[in-house]
Amino acid sequence: MINEKIKNIIIESRDIAAEKKLQASFLLHYENSHLMRIGNNSVSLSTSEELFRLDIVVTIGSKQGSHTQLGDISSIDQILRSLEIAEEKAKVANDKDYTPIEDIVDEEVKEESQYDSDFEKLSPSFKAQAYAEIFNQVGDKYNYSGSWSSGYTEQFIATTNNRNTAYHKGTDQLFSIVLKHPEKHWEITSSQTGWRKDDFSVESVIKQLKEYVEYYENLQPVKIEPNKYTVVLGPQAIAEVIEMAIYTGFWGRIYEEKQGWTSNNKFGDKILGENISICDDPANDNTFKFKFDLSGQSRIKRMLVENGIFKGLMYDPSTAAKFNKQKTGHNIRSSSISVKCGDGEECPLEAVKSLGDVLYIPALHYINLPNISKGIFTGSSRFNALYVKDGKVVGPIYSSRITDTFQNVFGDVAKISKADISVNLSNTYGRRAPVASSVPKYMVCRGVKITDSADSF
Amino acid sequence: MNVDTALKNSIKKNINDLMDSSADYVDVRYLLNDDSESIMLYNGNLESNDTTFESGLGVRVLYKGTWGFAATSNLNSIENCFQQAFHNAKTAASLVKVPLSMGKKEPHISNFKSPVKIDPFTVPLSEKLAFLNKIDEQLKEEWILQRIVRADFQKKISLFLNSEGTEVERELYNVFASINIMALDNEGQMQNRTHDLFTTGNGTRGWEMLIDPDLFSGNIERIKSELKELTKADSLEYGKRTVILLPTQAWLQVHETIGHPLELDRILGYELSYAGGSFVDLDSFGKLQYGSKKLNVSAYGSIENSPGSFGYDDEGSPERDYMLIKDGILVNALTSRAMINEANQKAGKQIFKESGGAARATAFYRAPIDRMTNVNILPGSDGTLEDIIAGTEDGIIVDYPNSWSIGSNREHFHFGCEIAWEVKKGKITRVLKNPTYQGHTIEFYNSLSAVGDRSTWQVGQVDNCGKGEPNQVMQLGHGVPVVKFDNVITGERK
Repeated sequence: MINEKIKNIIIESRDIAAEKKLQASFLLHYENSHLMRIGNNSVSLSTSEELFRLDIVVTIGSKQGSHTQLGDISSIDQILRSLEIAEEKAKVANDKDYTPIEDIVDEEVKEESQYDSDFEKLSPSFKAQAYAEIFNQVGDKYNYSGSWSSGYTEQFIATTNNRNTAYHKGTDQLFSIVLKHPEKHWEITSSQTGWRKDDFSVESVIKQLKEYVEYYENLQPVKIEPNKYTVVLGPQAIAEVIEMAIYTGFWGRIYEEKQGWTSNNKFGDKILGENISICDDPANDNTFKFKFDLSGQSRIKRMLVENGIFKGLMYDPSTAAKFNKQKTGHNIRSSSISVKCGDGEECPLEAVKSLGDVLYIPALHYINLPNISKGIFTGSSRFNALYVKDGKVVGPIYSSRITDTFQNVFGDVAKISKADISVNLSNTYGRRAPVASSVPKYMVCRGVKITDSADSF
Repeated sequence: MNVDTALKNSIKKNINDLMDSSADYVDVRYLLNDDSESIMLYNGNLESNDTTFESGLGVRVLYKGTWGFAATSNLNSIENCFQQAFHNAKTAASLVKVPLSMGKKEPHISNFKSPVKIDPFTVPLSEKLAFLNKIDEQLKEEWILQRIVRADFQKKISLFLNSEGTEVERELYNVFASINIMALDNEGQMQNRTHDLFTTGNGTRGWEMLIDPDLFSGNIERIKSELKELTKADSLEYGKRTVILLPTQAWLQVHETIGHPLELDRILGYELSYAGGSFVDLDSFGKLQYGSKKLNVSAYGSIENSPGSFGYDDEGSPERDYMLIKDGILVNALTSRAMINEANQKAGKQIFKESGGAARATAFYRAPIDRMTNVNILPGSDGTLEDIIAGTEDGIIVDYPNSWSIGSNREHFHFGCEIAWEVKKGKITRVLKNPTYQGHTIEFYNSLSAVGDRSTWQVGQVDNCGKGEPNQVMQLGHGVPVVKFDNVITGERK
């Protein structure tokens, strides 16, 4: 963990850099991670990692160099060696055609609002017992796989521009399980996210799996022909499609360089349906909250879309400097995207009672963007996808592909759930960097294009 | 390799201690150096000028049929790391229905070094920047709105030890680079052209590869000219037609719809909760007509110059050259030791004779999983690209992926590409923009109607294949020729 001794070494290194008139920032990242993987009804891997990473950026005029050290950072000599590497790189670097905005910690911060000490002590045996209970309760004739990632991260930032430091400590987890029928090959899933030990409930996992097992065991699968359908998107699908829409429509660089699907719009234009509002809200407890970004800037709520109207963009420091804009606290790995709820019924089946034939697609697998300028995305249904008629489940659907635009899918939304949910979007390539979005439990989207379907799940 | 003797002895002692405590098997990967450097010029601005140095130890313990793993960057407390891995395995052993087994292997002492003339980490940054700046200068045109030139260098020096007595020292090098330019077309949409550093499969893979103009900078004028044409081009219309994939598109097709579905851990269901499964099952081997008789696919392929050529995998098994698909029939998979034992046991027969040497880990803090090595379509006998075009009545040639979306069991796919060339009656007629194509894997490969000869074959370097939990980014290669498929759905429905 990042203790006072390590913090003091970073501060001492910062002071040495400042004495040398260097402009430098220090970001120390610590993670203590555990992950249990399940395969074929067994624990296939139980893994622990405890890692320190130190990122140092040195700026000399309009030149920058950076160095990351993963390893022992317990001595000041090692940190000064990393500083020296970054400095040497900055000296040799090209001049930029803009002056970088200097990293500066806006205010002294110590943030631990999403830290649960009980969760930090979550034992591997607790996880194994939960999986065993699921197998026993739902039925061990099925094949189960899954993973349960849990851990805590700490980040500590100091820069040579002032004496402030920013510290964050938080816990996070993502539980998932996949149940597969050994002969019929259908798959259903359940997942949970959160930062408290109590955010996980084995009972609700068992309940959800049993509900879907009932549908999949007793109803005939349906192959969907390509056409336009009313589609109820579930939370994972909403979160991932919105994440793509945000990245390609609301990041300052993509917008300014005319690469994105909003690049021909200006603030005030109607770009989505009037019941769609999206913001980046670092105070939303459904997301993993960060009070500051990696440049040390304090983060505040920022509207991106309000009632379908284009309201804002997100600028990281280099984009802001390049395009002469204000940086918005978005030098981050963990945004807090929040989609506003509506007044739809708690249960999606209730919500579509009067809508005739609809497809319920709670998650989309492997979403990608064939045409960013037009806002076209594509992805295919996978788990828990159902054909529904007048609010009654007709049967599970085979893997079906949506290829459509953000503007169309979120342009005609008939109903939005009144309840929201946290969806974990963390990727753990490299360092642990928890990300979650807060989204409605469902959205009923009209006229969504299904462009292909398989004869299998 | 200069490994501290005391540290090596300490590792061996800890391995022996765990074996004495009833562990089934133990292995250790010590990364002395895992160095990377990333340089990116974005419109001439040096937006990435970064090095990352990593070093540490990963310990894997098999106990009562299940894995425990732990990693540390603190070499002063490696005993704790061994104990943590053992503790993880013991806890996991409380829930084992299908015990894993590594089998038995004779120990060996081996080493491998990537063929390199100039270690890229010995080239001064100023020289690297001068080289990349020169390329950026050549890209400058008023109508080109974005220019991105990047180069990434990797060097991994590692020691592998296991409880069978095997020791493997490796020194691996990778050089990746790309040139990407963008311009607005006549409808205000951003169009892209990209060239990635590739290899011929032969030669060495140090700094010298990057400065070979045939492999990299010699392609600047070509992509500029193609981008210019894209800005004036019509969009591809929806319809079924022949599709010819150039190697820089074909490698991703192979990667997503042959490589991933043939990873044995996916076939056995170990990736379901993240990457997905496979439409291939254990009954498919020796029977499944994966593609037409023209389809021959190898693993590794004895390619000397590729990110997927690494000598020995992260279980100490030698990388093997073998066929995955022969004359269209599926015959083997990408395999590691534990997975082949489980698969053979499940199938009740010996499908897989030995590990394919495909257990790989991206860093010392990740446990090895089944990965691609080099997955290659072997050159065919249908001539050059020109010969294949001449034999095409109505089709498109497509190049370079800008989007890829694949079904969870790899049974269907949708690809978007940067550029297409329309082919009518054996001749290229015009450039088309926004090309996409989609299909179902088995139907698609069975429509394979032409495979280009050795003149069309090149090795695509992949620097970012993601898989596993915790996620691991892996580097690998695909040697592929020009390939032609018939009756493919192309473009998007209105």
